[in-house]
Amino acid sequence: MKKDLCNTEHHAWLRVFALIVLVLLSSSTLFAVDNSPQVTLDASNTGPRSVETLTQRAIVRDYKFAWANLDVALESNSAGPLNGLFAGPANDCLRGTVSSQQRSGMTSRYLNQRHKLEAIFYAPVGDVIELHDTAEYDFEIHDGGKTIHNEHAIVHYVVLMTPGADRWVIRQLQAVPQF
Amino acid sequence: MSSLINTACKSHRVHAALVTVALICLAMVAGAQDVPLHVPSNAVAGQAVSIATKGNGPATFYLRGPSISLKRDTELGQNIDLSAKELQTSGDYVAVLCASTCSSARFFVAPGKPAVLTFLVHPSRAPVGLNDGINGVVLPFDQFHNLVLAPATVQFELTAKGSAPTSRDVQTHDGIAWFRTSSGKSAGALQISASLSDLVARRVVQQVASDPCNLRIKGQRTARGILVETEPVRDCSGNPVPDGTIVTFTAKDGHEVSFVDAPVKHDIARATMVAKGPVVVSAASGVATGNELRLGGSE
Repeated sequence: MKKDLCNTEHHAWLRVFALIVLVLLSSSTLFAVDNSPQVTLDASNTGPRSVETLTQRAIVRDYKFAWANLDVALESNSAGPLNGLFAGPANDCLRGTVSSQQRSGMTSRYLNQRHKLEAIFYAPVGDVIELHDTAEYDFEIHDGGKTIHNEHAIVHYVVLMTPGADRWVIRQLQAVPQF
Repeated sequence: MSSLINTACKSHRVHAALVTVALICLAMVAGAQDVPLHVPSNAVAGQAVSIATKGNGPATFYLRGPSISLKRDTELGQNIDLSAKELQTSGDYVAVLCASTCSSARFFVAPGKPAVLTFLVHPSRAPVGLNDGINGVVLPFDQFHNLVLAPATVQFELTAKGSAPTSRDVQTHDGIAWFRTSSGKSAGALQISASLSDLVARRVVQQVASDPCNLRIKGQRTARGILVETEPVRDCSGNPVPDGTIVTFTAKDGHEVSFVDAPVKHDIARATMVAKGPVVVSAASGVATGNELRLGGSE
């Protein structure tokens, strides 16, 4: 009787475990419907200038748009989507990646992006802002139709953004091991 | 009895959980040992590195970095050499080696030594005596335009004509050093330099006179009316205001009031006003007002 009771409970536990595994496996598909990046910004400890609310909104909007287009550019191997969103070294780097992907026949994807931005430095006259981005995404590398790398990555980026005519542009997007 | 059954079941579950954890750990260790790539742990931008591989047979090597994507045929067991040019950009790189299956490893490339200082100074013209009116931001970059994040000391030096140079040392935080200072008392060029090791960046801020202060006017009757002019217009520190600064002359002739705006030229603003009777003339520029000048009527 003791063995039966134990087996019954054990089976129930196995069923719950199997259910959890199924939910976890299907979750990536369920949540992949909206693939636009999620971006949050914490500007509470910024100096020497404080970041106005409207500026915060503009930075979040433009950073999100830039990463969405970065994914499109590297998936389609086209530098067009990068236009106007990146400048300086960041622009050169990404264009370099696109052109070398074209040469090697590779593509890459940044899926299910989540970016936690923290504003670290905002220049006294507001002409440059430094952000720390703790980015989380599913990073895929493809060679032709074959997936050669697929990982859920957490990457730390140091970001420099400057205000353009009608938006904030990314000038530096540099991954670091930690902040 | 019931507690006995519960205890037995609990011990069974704990045992099963321990076995599962042990299996997962074993699988992770085995997986880690199976990765046939040995990536560098302290790569620096612009320096060649070698990636060691294990095994034998043909394979395809891929590298995906911040500004590069390459594919290369290789042999397992041989080193894969990456040139300095292929690793110019600081950031994270993913190395993938595909034989029968694909294995990957991630590594970071750090920025090199500072080679360029980006020095932003504002404003280009500043009125004298302005509190915290001048500021500068320095960002050190290596020769490949990677932001150098390692702390470094930047020396800011400010030199104005007629005063001793002042300097201050500021350490970079997250690749940025900055300063803020007040403008001096005298108009003229303020030389600002930022130096880091042997790198120097220089900027100039033109310190200009502030608003006019203590306006004084004089005047006389002429055949065409009255000619009024200011004494040299200066700010409160004694600096002559720039040409083009507007002085407004006001003439009160009984109930009639007339205005003339005149720009300062060579320190003096001058205007001719039409008035026949006794007149009271005054002048203003910015928030400064001058003395009143009373002139009698014309003959």
